[in-house]
Amino acid sequence: MPSELKESFREVVWAIAPLTLVVVLLQVSVIHMPGVDFMRFLVGALLVFFGFLLFLQGVKIGLLPMGEMVGAELPKRAGLPVILLTAFLLGFLVTVAEPDVRVLSHQVDLVSQGEIGKNLLIVTVAMGIGIFVCIAMLRIILGIPIAYLLAAAYLAVLALSFFTPPDFVPIAFDAGGVTTGPVTVPFVLALGIGTASVLGGRSTMADAFGLVGLASVGPVLGVMLLGIVYR
Amino acid sequence: MNELLEFLEVEEVLVEVLAALGPLVLLFAVFQVFFLKLPRKYVFNLLKGLLLSFLGLVLFLQGVKVGFIPAGARMGEILGGFAQRWVLVPIGFILGFVATVAEPAVRILSYEIEKTSGGAIGSRTILAVLSVGVAFFVALGMCRILWGVPILYFIVPGYLAAVLMLKFTSPAFISIAFDAGGVATGPMTVTFVMAMAVGVASVMEDRSPILDGFGLISLVALAPILAVMGFGLLYTMRKGK
Repeated sequence: MPSELKESFREVVWAIAPLTLVVVLLQVSVIHMPGVDFMRFLVGALLVFFGFLLFLQGVKIGLLPMGEMVGAELPKRAGLPVILLTAFLLGFLVTVAEPDVRVLSHQVDLVSQGEIGKNLLIVTVAMGIGIFVCIAMLRIILGIPIAYLLAAAYLAVLALSFFTPPDFVPIAFDAGGVTTGPVTVPFVLALGIGTASVLGGRSTMADAFGLVGLASVGPVLGVMLLGIVYR
Repeated sequence: MNELLEFLEVEEVLVEVLAALGPLVLLFAVFQVFFLKLPRKYVFNLLKGLLLSFLGLVLFLQGVKVGFIPAGARMGEILGGFAQRWVLVPIGFILGFVATVAEPAVRILSYEIEKTSGGAIGSRTILAVLSVGVAFFVALGMCRILWGVPILYFIVPGYLAAVLMLKFTSPAFISIAFDAGGVATGPMTVTFVMAMAVGVASVMEDRSPILDGFGLISLVALAPILAVMGFGLLYTMRKGK
């Protein structure tokens, strides 16, 4: 076994073993769930283990370099309008494709008694992400401190949470988390790191990260506004 | 045996992962054709990576879906029926911790932080800070379900504290902290821990499984923001000495 694979193997054992052990310990000590459920959990843990191993290897040689190259190429080759259009489209399309958004839209359908249709919600969340990915890219390029943007966005969220119908508040916060799936995160992280790397001269760490964080505010604001409008 | 065969029905997960990869591959293809023009061998290697991560994610999500979610729900129901329900609080803490450790996107984030910081911020350190943060907030979330505290009582002070901390934290840690908030809400933490919370809420009277499950996610998203910024404050203070 090559040493790099061995290293990954050890890393994944350390990732999955604790959770599996805790559930096994709980099972034998206090929980005693039915045998079938427990068996399925163990088989699931095996799948999760091998899946994690392949995923980590694949992301390191696939999604990460891809995102970094696109991110580094973007400010070199394209003008600001093209960069912003790309950022918006990326955020929008990734969100529409994200399966979690569908689950969310179903729950909103329930809470609003069908008044807010699934497509309306998906478009709202996707627009929120698209706009905030744009803002985040603009920030990296213009060198605006992230603290100002985050402070403004979250203060707006807090203010809106008092006007949003109570049923919508937890859903709105949840909407921020749905588009950060395991496919999107590595690519978007790498995209930011790539873009920041060609705009040298400032603190790279501060510019390289924050794209995912800023993008997740968009849908929170979007869903809250939707809730207010539909009250 | 039939119930074990459910593992083979991967169609739904297959479509999910393909759909999530689609836009990214499309964007890369456009860049490759018009700007990057990388050699064929290099592109072939990238595609190999994509295929690996695709297969890996399908296996992972399938395992979570058919193995972890039902187990989480069953555990929640059983624990929710206990006479001493307070045990849910320490159990929530431990499960929050180990579930975050098993989260793929968290791994990738801490790996990228270590690489970009040139090793100054180790991936294990970030992983530990994040996991403790989430553990603490899952425990809080369990308290919330048990005693029926409205979610806003946690969210409003939590985000106010986060906005206040922005003033004192160095920009690098701010960026990392908010990224971590988005990353912690991945398939393992959210689905497994949420399945448990929904299980608990479903056996308790006057609890709405949907709303209580939701509330937990917003707490899990808030936890790393506060934890990483707190860690950043300590880190900068110690470095300044």
